[in-house]
Amino acid sequence: MRSMADRRTLHVTPWTAALITILVMLAVLFLTPTVGVLLSSIKTTRDIALGDLWSIPGELFLGNYAEVLSNPAVHRYFVNTLIVTVPATAASTALGVLAGYVFAKLPFRGAGILFLAIVAGMFFPPQVILVPLFRLFNGVGLIDTLWPIFLVHTALGIPICTLLMRNFFATVPDALREAAILEGASEWQVLTRVAIPLGLPALAVLATLQFTWIWNDFLWPLIFTQSDEKRTIMIGIVNLKGQYTVAWGVQGALSLIASLPTLVIFLFFQRYFIKGMTMGAVKG
Amino acid sequence: MARVTLENIRKSFGDVEVIRDVSLDIERGEFMVFVGPSGCGKSTMLRLISGLEDVSGGTIRIGGRDVTGVAPSKRRLAMVFQSYALFPHLDVAGNIGFGLSLARTPAGEIERRVKDVAERLGIADLLSRMPRQLSGGERQRVAIGRAIIRDPEVFLFDEPLSNLDAALRVRMRLEIARLHKALDGVTMIYVTHDQTEAMTLADRIAVINRGRIEQVGTPMELYHHPANTFVAGFIGAPAMNFLDGNVDESGAVSFAGVTIMPAQPFSHRGRATIGIRPESLRLAGAGEADLVARLDHVEPLGAETLLHFDTPLTVRVNDAVPAVEGDTLGLVIDRTRIHVFPP
Repeated sequence: MRSMADRRTLHVTPWTAALITILVMLAVLFLTPTVGVLLSSIKTTRDIALGDLWSIPGELFLGNYAEVLSNPAVHRYFVNTLIVTVPATAASTALGVLAGYVFAKLPFRGAGILFLAIVAGMFFPPQVILVPLFRLFNGVGLIDTLWPIFLVHTALGIPICTLLMRNFFATVPDALREAAILEGASEWQVLTRVAIPLGLPALAVLATLQFTWIWNDFLWPLIFTQSDEKRTIMIGIVNLKGQYTVAWGVQGALSLIASLPTLVIFLFFQRYFIKGMTMGAVKG
Repeated sequence: MARVTLENIRKSFGDVEVIRDVSLDIERGEFMVFVGPSGCGKSTMLRLISGLEDVSGGTIRIGGRDVTGVAPSKRRLAMVFQSYALFPHLDVAGNIGFGLSLARTPAGEIERRVKDVAERLGIADLLSRMPRQLSGGERQRVAIGRAIIRDPEVFLFDEPLSNLDAALRVRMRLEIARLHKALDGVTMIYVTHDQTEAMTLADRIAVINRGRIEQVGTPMELYHHPANTFVAGFIGAPAMNFLDGNVDESGAVSFAGVTIMPAQPFSHRGRATIGIRPESLRLAGAGEADLVARLDHVEPLGAETLLHFDTPLTVRVNDAVPAVEGDTLGLVIDRTRIHVFPP
């Protein structure tokens, strides 16, 4: 084994060299904007105005962070975003689990067609449903509340959640369900005591994807909310700019702070996430 | 502790009838084995008894109670699956105690009973292991533990040994036989396609073919008095020799150019399939041969040797044979062990 490993490290083929180069370039490409934002966030407005985005500031200036964190509007943005993101993530994941379990383990007449119909929901471009949804929520008086954002994200999350969970539950052997039933489990108990514990990797992937997607969403809050009291964090970043000037430093600081929750969620679920992405590849 | 009665059981999947009018009485405490080739419906029968599948017609009674429409968990039975079906996310103790925890048994009692069962099965030191850390035999024992902890009245085994290697299979077979003795009065229904398992474990065997029971009886009854060629061919290894033949008016049986008078008379007359088990033939001494055949192939198995002749006939002998392939040898037929099957 050792000699094989040695040989592998010694012989860098053109192919692996090219691969490493491409990966490094991609990493730089993705990290550069973040570094730019980070540099702006620790500079004074004056330093920024002097130009040269990439210069390292003479001294670490944390005033932008202090300003952002002490701004009551920012607190409100965070709370609003949490109020939408957590329930919508939970609701779409929960509905996906229920639907996925039924499609995988409790087949019924017409299940295949219904499954396709649900999954087809993934392919609706938001532009198509944007105006009808606005008119609908306007008609029922929910515009400028957080309800439409929660409802739309939950609904839009169902197809991907159902698809992923159905595919996961399909890999759980039927004998496990039958064994649990013979042990006295109801269908609900099979789901909660056997299928979901086994499906934690898939659930972690889903929760992370949904949370990130909803947290970072710009479109729906922009459409459904108007007052600053109901804005979510992504709109909040834009709102922080002044009337005639752009507060780059403050916006940069808020951008970085706003991305922390998704980072925390990812780190929290990371080990499941990687397991979940490879799931089905190897029979476990 | 319960008698299981099947009355005119039918099962269809769409237009395909997989169980056709099966009636069977399984006595309290009996070890009944369903045996048959794959696809014969034996596993379906087990699933019907367990309630995992609904019958299309007929009645199932357990302990005199009609359970035909009763939920699986209310039938007071336990099942051991071919794949063991251990819950991968629970340790051994969690697997064995799963049913008890569903029934909201107090934690202390679950722990006590799990320990008790694990000691009986010799897996007490594995209780905190996960199923993936266990060998095939250990998994099998955990699956059995999960089944016996709830004191079921009926035990169902669905090909429980077919995933084990040959040596382990023999050992587990013995353990299951011991378990049946230890669990006094528990009815066991065991499905297998392996006739050796069936012969060694069963009080009675039901031979199933194409959704019907061909014959029910003790292993020796089936071996010595098979009702038809299917049962005769399925029970016993190597399989019984079958030859086209005839029974004349006097009762003499003729086949392969030989005519002999069987020890017991047969009522059938005319064309028939003649069955002779490999051990009912022996090599002839000087001048006593019933028939002469050319040796095709010799299979020395150690304790016994199988001789394959061109007739075609297979003969089982206990001693080493001096003959080589291509030799012509005389054979003697045991006249008390001839089977005649009407066409």
